[in-house]
Amino acid sequence: MAQKSWIEIAKDNLWYNNPVFIQILGICSTLAVTNTLINTSIMTLGVVFVTGLSAMTVSLLKSFIPRKVRMIAQTLIISFYVIIVDIVLRAYVPEVSRALGPYVGLIITNCIIMGRTEAFAQSNPPLLSLWDGLTTGIGYMYVLLMVAFVRELLGFGTVFGFQVLPDNFVNWTIMVMPPSAFFMLAIFIWIIKGYMFRKEVKK
Amino acid sequence: MKREGKVYTIIFTFIISFVFVFVLAVANELTKDTVERNQELFQIKAILSAMDISYQSDEEAFQKYNSIVSTVNINGSQLYTAEVNGQKIYATIFTGSGLWGTITGVLAVNEDVSRIVGIDFISQNETPGLGGRIEEDWFKRQFSGLKIIDGEIRVVTGQGSGDYDYENGQVDAITGATRTSESIERIVNETIANLKDILGGE
Repeated sequence: MAQKSWIEIAKDNLWYNNPVFIQILGICSTLAVTNTLINTSIMTLGVVFVTGLSAMTVSLLKSFIPRKVRMIAQTLIISFYVIIVDIVLRAYVPEVSRALGPYVGLIITNCIIMGRTEAFAQSNPPLLSLWDGLTTGIGYMYVLLMVAFVRELLGFGTVFGFQVLPDNFVNWTIMVMPPSAFFMLAIFIWIIKGYMFRKEVKK
Repeated sequence: MKREGKVYTIIFTFIISFVFVFVLAVANELTKDTVERNQELFQIKAILSAMDISYQSDEEAFQKYNSIVSTVNINGSQLYTAEVNGQKIYATIFTGSGLWGTITGVLAVNEDVSRIVGIDFISQNETPGLGGRIEEDWFKRQFSGLKIIDGEIRVVTGQGSGDYDYENGQVDAITGATRTSESIERIVNETIANLKDILGGE
């Protein structure tokens, strides 16, 4: 397999092979945390950090890991970084840690991270894996932030907790609840896929 | 040694687990004091805000807590007490089960348990953005000064923007968080009954 260049990796992860709207991974967290922008940004920053570093660590250790236990080793590495994130949040930004509650711990179950360590980091050098992990995380982040933006705006009338819509605006409570994330994500995928197909047809 | 062999696999798994867990243990040990202080501070702040005592900074919170609030032991239960505006206030830490997990908080009442002075939450695991909104100001403010009617308060379906009529013994529930709101009603009423037992209200 020819190695991809840094720019190609970034383009792939951010757009052509985006983890959320092309690979449809990490949907559980998309449904769960996207009702406020603050929670979403902290959660996705955590994911960026964890995907980047765990991909790099797996890549560094790949020549020592026996194939039989590679999944266990990957899970161990991923949970290691997740717990680090949790400890740092608890010690230095307790308010945020409380607002997120169990979601930080649930980063472990994010399939994107496992997917990247298994599909990319196992067969690529450390720095490239770090880059791949980071860009995948960012690809995940911006999609979630967009979904969260619409949901928070219509659900609470706020953006990052600041009131932007007039007071007489009736909040769409459905937007705060998980089902709306399904709608938002589907509409989002529809628009982006439609755009991609149209581009392909033109070629 | 063969990389795919049994012995290597076992040794490798052992070493990698040991190293990572060791680092975590160290990180946990290093931040333990900060985390503990945060938690203590959080409890102090919750007690202060339930008692409607204002503070500006962490330092001031500590100071006010030490100078105004004292702990008393009445009939075998530990209560926090303070005198605010010439009125004696009692507060207690309550725990109860919410929708997803335990809700811990502070409830403050006046001497004869006829009005709630305030409520604040220390920890909860309700859905962020839904049940988790019990921590928001508009929700908690509904309780400050609320009259207790027939020994209980009621959480009712309202406009979802807050019920600030403090004489009717009611607060608005959170839209979309029915179960959490029900839990709060139950927990608060249990706490009120408990406080009445201790303080011997009528």
